[in-house]
Amino acid sequence: MDYRLQLAKRMLFNKRGSLVGAVLAVTIGILVIHVNFVIFQGLFDAIVRDLTDYRFGNLQITDEEDYIDKSDQSLVNWFERIPYVEAATPRLSSTASINITKFGERIEETRVPIVGVDPLRDIRASTVHNTIAEGQFVYSRNSIVLGSNVAQDLGGAKVGDSVKLKIVDRYGQEQLKRFIVTGIAKSPGGQGFDYSVVVHIDTLRDLMDRDGYTGSIMVKLNDPTKATEVKDLFLRTFPNEDFIAETIEEAAEEQLAGFRSGIAMINMIGYFGMMSSAFAIVTIQMMLVNGKTKEIGIMRAIGAKRRDILIIFLFQGIIIGAIGATVGTAAGLGYTIYAKETKMSFNNSLPLEVSIQWDKVIQTALISFSLAIIASLYPSYRATKLLPVEAMRNV
Amino acid sequence: MSDKVLEMYNLNKVYGEGDTKVHALQDVSITVNKGEFLLIVGSSGSGKSTLLNMIGLLDRPTSGKILIDGTNTTTLNDGKISSFRNHKLGFIFQFFNLLADLTVLENVMLPRQIQGTNASASKDAKELLKIVGLEDQMYKQANKISGGQAQRAAIARGLVNHPTIVLADEPTGNLDSVSAQKIVQLMKSMAKKLGQTFIVVTHDRHQFGDVDRVITIKDGRAFEGQESTRLEAVA
Repeated sequence: MDYRLQLAKRMLFNKRGSLVGAVLAVTIGILVIHVNFVIFQGLFDAIVRDLTDYRFGNLQITDEEDYIDKSDQSLVNWFERIPYVEAATPRLSSTASINITKFGERIEETRVPIVGVDPLRDIRASTVHNTIAEGQFVYSRNSIVLGSNVAQDLGGAKVGDSVKLKIVDRYGQEQLKRFIVTGIAKSPGGQGFDYSVVVHIDTLRDLMDRDGYTGSIMVKLNDPTKATEVKDLFLRTFPNEDFIAETIEEAAEEQLAGFRSGIAMINMIGYFGMMSSAFAIVTIQMMLVNGKTKEIGIMRAIGAKRRDILIIFLFQGIIIGAIGATVGTAAGLGYTIYAKETKMSFNNSLPLEVSIQWDKVIQTALISFSLAIIASLYPSYRATKLLPVEAMRNV
Repeated sequence: MSDKVLEMYNLNKVYGEGDTKVHALQDVSITVNKGEFLLIVGSSGSGKSTLLNMIGLLDRPTSGKILIDGTNTTTLNDGKISSFRNHKLGFIFQFFNLLADLTVLENVMLPRQIQGTNASASKDAKELLKIVGLEDQMYKQANKISGGQAQRAAIARGLVNHPTIVLADEPTGNLDSVSAQKIVQLMKSMAKKLGQTFIVVTHDRHQFGDVDRVITIKDGRAFEGQESTRLEAVA
C-alpha cells in the first residue's frame, strides 16, 4: 500500500471524532437528497400514476376539432390489436348543472365537470372505478357517480338519491335528465373524479346530442415505455385525420409543469445541503491539518515534497468521501425501501409512488464523493504551505 | 573525489528588519569532511540551531553558500530541496519527532518510502532497528515506547536512507543522563561502524567526550580550535 494512503488512513482513523463528523456530514447530505427524492419525486410520480390511471392513460387520443367523430369501437379495436396495449376506452367530457331536493330544499351546483364512460371498457383501461368509496361504478344509462366533493356540495348526497342534471346540447338547448346516484367517488390525493360526476357515455352523448362522438380515447399500455412507439404508429396509421396523440407527460403537462419546477427547487435545496456538508468537511479537515502540523513538518524535514503532503490529505478526502457516500447511500436506500415497503403516503392520503432510480442513486453518491474530495482540496493545499521548521515548532 | 561533504561560505542569517534586525548567523564558513563527528556547541540563543536548520535545508540563509556533496543547495527549488533532504540528510531531533500514527518500523521505513525505494525499505529498517536494539519494539506504536527507545528509533530513521550527513539537534536534550549516555555511545559507534558523518548540536559538550571536531557558536559567529576551546572554558 502506498505509504501516503496508509498514513492518511491512520491519521484519520486515529481521530475518530473528526472522521465520524466528516462522514456524518457526507451521509446527511446524501440522506437529504434521498428523503427529498422519496417524498417529492414519489409525490410527483404518484400524481402521474393517478393521472394515468384515472384520466389520461399512458396515451391519450383527442381530435383537433374537440370531438372524435370516428367510431370509438373501431379505434378501441385498432389499439387493442397492438401487443403493447392492455386496453383502451372512450371518454366524453362536458359541464353540467346538477340539483337535488333534500328535505324540501333544492340545492344546485353549476358548472360541474361531467365525464361519460363506457363502464365495460373503462374498468379495463382505468382504475377510477376503484375510487368508489360508497356504492358502485356506473352500470346503467340512468346511473350517476358523484365525486365526493360534489356530493358534499349537494348537501351530502348519498347512494340512492335522485339528482337532476341540466346540460346544454350542441344546439344550445337545455337538456334535463334525472339520475339515481349509484356511487360516490373519492380518491386518495384527489386526482380522481372527486370534483366531477360520472355517467354512461351513451347517456352523455344523448344529452349533448352528439351521437357517435367521443372526447378522447384513453389507452392503457402494458409497457409504458412503448408509449411513443404506439403514438407514432397511430399517427402514421391515420395520417389524414386530425387526431392528437399525447403521452401522459404531454397530456398532463399543464398539471405537472408547476410540480416539476417545485421538484427542481427542492432538489436544489438538497444540493445546497450537500454543499453545506462540503463546508463541514472543509472545517473538519482544517482541524485535522492543524492537529497534524508537527507531523507535516517532520514529513517535510525527512524529505516529503509538498505534493506528498497534498496527496496525504487528498487521500483523507477520498476516504471520507468513500465512507460517507457508502454510508449515506446505504441509509438513503434503507429509507427508500422502508418508504416503499410501508407504502408511505403523503399527508396520510396519497400513497407515494416510491421507486429506486439507480442512475440517480449513483449520481448522488458520485456527486457527494466528488464534493468531499473538492472540499479537501483547500485544507490539503494549506497543509502544503507549512514550512517544515515552523511546523515542527508546533507542539 | 573530494572528501568534503559540507562546505559553507560566508553564511548569514538575518531575522527582522530595521531596529528589530537580528543577525542570527554572521559570516559562518565551515567545511566538514566525510566521516567526521562534529559537535556544534554554544549557549542558548547563540545561533547553533539556526545553523543546523541551514545545513539541514530547513531554512534558507540570507546570504552565503552551502554545498553538500558538491551541490550548491542555495539555488535549489523547494521540490529539489525536499528530494535533497531525503537523499543526502538524516535528522535526529531533540523531541524524537516520530510519527505517533505509525509503528516504530514504519517510522524508520518512512524516508525510504518517500524516496520510493519500498522494496528494501523494510529489510534495511529491521536491520537498523536490530543494531539500535529495538528489534522487539518495532511493531509497537511510536508513542508507546520510552524516550530513550524513541531516540534510538529516530537514529535508525536518520540512517536508513544512507545519508551523506546525519544532523542531530540536541539529541540528548530530552533524555535522562543514563539514556543520554547510551544515545551518545550509539551515535558514536554508528559513526565509526558506518563511516557516517555526524553534525551534532548540543549545549552539553562534555556528554560527548572525545569527538573529531568542535565548533563553538557565539553571537552567530563560528569559532574553531583554540578559540573554540577558550570559549568553551569561559562558558
